[in-house]
Amino acid sequence: METEIQTFVKIAAYCGAGIAMGLGAMGAAIGEGYTAAQANLAISRNSGISGDIFKNMLVGQAVAESASIFALVIGILLLFLDASAINILKAAALAGAGLCMGFGAIGSGIGSGYPGGQACSGISRQPMLSSRLTTNMLIGSAVCQTPAIFSMVVALMLIFMDFGEMAVNPTWAALIGAGLSTGLAAIGSGYGGGIAAGASCEGVARQPLSVSNVTTTMLVGQAVAQTPSIFGLLVSFILMFRTFPETGSLGPAIALLGAGLCMGFGGIGPGIGNGMAAEGAVRWVARNTAKAGDLMRTMLVGQAVSQSTAIYAMVVSLVLIFVV
Amino acid sequence: MGELGKVHQLIIPFWGHNIAVNLEVVMMTWIVIVALVALGLLSARKSSIFPRPMQIAGELFVKQFYGLTEDALNKEMAEKYGPLVCALFMFLLLSNWLGIIPHLEEPTKDLNTPLSLGLMGFVIAHYAGIKSKGFKAYASEYFQPMFFMMPLNVIGELAKIVSISFRLFGNIMGGSIIILVVSYLTYSVVLPPLLNAFFGLFVGTIQAFVFTMLTIVYISVQVK
Repeated sequence: METEIQTFVKIAAYCGAGIAMGLGAMGAAIGEGYTAAQANLAISRNSGISGDIFKNMLVGQAVAESASIFALVIGILLLFLDASAINILKAAALAGAGLCMGFGAIGSGIGSGYPGGQACSGISRQPMLSSRLTTNMLIGSAVCQTPAIFSMVVALMLIFMDFGEMAVNPTWAALIGAGLSTGLAAIGSGYGGGIAAGASCEGVARQPLSVSNVTTTMLVGQAVAQTPSIFGLLVSFILMFRTFPETGSLGPAIALLGAGLCMGFGGIGPGIGNGMAAEGAVRWVARNTAKAGDLMRTMLVGQAVSQSTAIYAMVVSLVLIFVV
Repeated sequence: MGELGKVHQLIIPFWGHNIAVNLEVVMMTWIVIVALVALGLLSARKSSIFPRPMQIAGELFVKQFYGLTEDALNKEMAEKYGPLVCALFMFLLLSNWLGIIPHLEEPTKDLNTPLSLGLMGFVIAHYAGIKSKGFKAYASEYFQPMFFMMPLNVIGELAKIVSISFRLFGNIMGGSIIILVVSYLTYSVVLPPLLNAFFGLFVGTIQAFVFTMLTIVYISVQVK
């Protein structure tokens, strides 16, 4: 029995590592490709400053890569960390960690390609603004990594925390659910934050005087677009830290897994939608700075309405955790 | 790695209940408060028409944040909420930066600090809303667009507290966990300081600003 548990833990660690790096490689590659495409466009538009554009493209791609570097770190940890466990829960935790980081890296990877691309095309339009655009791009794509950071945190907690004394039966599902909840919910928020950051780089290039208004609107918009992934993080924390009573039946376990899936999938749409709202607001703040206050208020109300579906998902998953 | 997810607590039994005090957080919060008071005294001491460097820095900072408040609210309300906004930002900024000093920890790493600040912002926003619109208009907003949406509207408002406080908490705690794990794995002298600079200084500044801005816009959404 003892060796069997070790085998299962190893299996889970290897599967988790594969999932983490495999899925984690997707997003950043797409984002970086978008940045490179925009850089090509920018160089053909203004080939005199191709050096600046090229430098900016590389910096933007390096930042966009960080989501998949997080996935690489988790993958390597899962492969090489010596996980000696006393029960089967460690296997569930490691699989959950892999799922969490793999899904969590997709959105931020794709999203953070947008500010890079828009900054490149902005530099070709306004060569004098190159350093300001690079700064704006760095802030935008760093904030857009937040959902990936949340997934990395949950993955690290799942890997390193000790779940030894918990009841095996419902807790295995809670740990996998915790990974899925943050990981899936991070997809929408990462992508949404990215398109908002892209619009801000475009806006700054169009109207350099609006930079402080545009950056503020972008930060608030991205922050609100991250709310679904924060709900995912909350559900994950509850699933990880709550002690569930031991049961023989499968029902409670599947309810906990369902709670994670519900919050995870429920967070994708609102994250993208909120990002679109933020993108629109940022784009038009740049063109009409005088109305920045009105635009931000409209954005917030629109985002609140679009977020209500994430709140429904959170209510259902809390009901699944605490009531069922 | 054993300290992941563990907190030092002082537990006081009180009439059958246990009151838990997170000692480190209380201590770190007092360090931040003392540092802020010292900064305030330094920049406001001997204010004159020919300002000294500290006075200039203080005035620039205050003016900047009054301007931000004025953009979101109107001029009259900015006078009222400006001090709150400045104090909130300074407290959060210093709290988030505190972790880069060895042996000190960010008070915002503990969920209690962001949660109480978020609750404070929530109460202030709703107080401002009731005061400017009157209770009837304020309450009727919960029954929009249909009366049976009331419970969901209330949950939506409460979710704002969760999102604003977990955003700060998740970022700061996430950064510190990542730094802890990387330092544990690598024993490197290059990586952890770099990560400290990124998560402590850069992310800490952005998150302090985002928290402050969101508190302002929550007030402005309630008022208008």
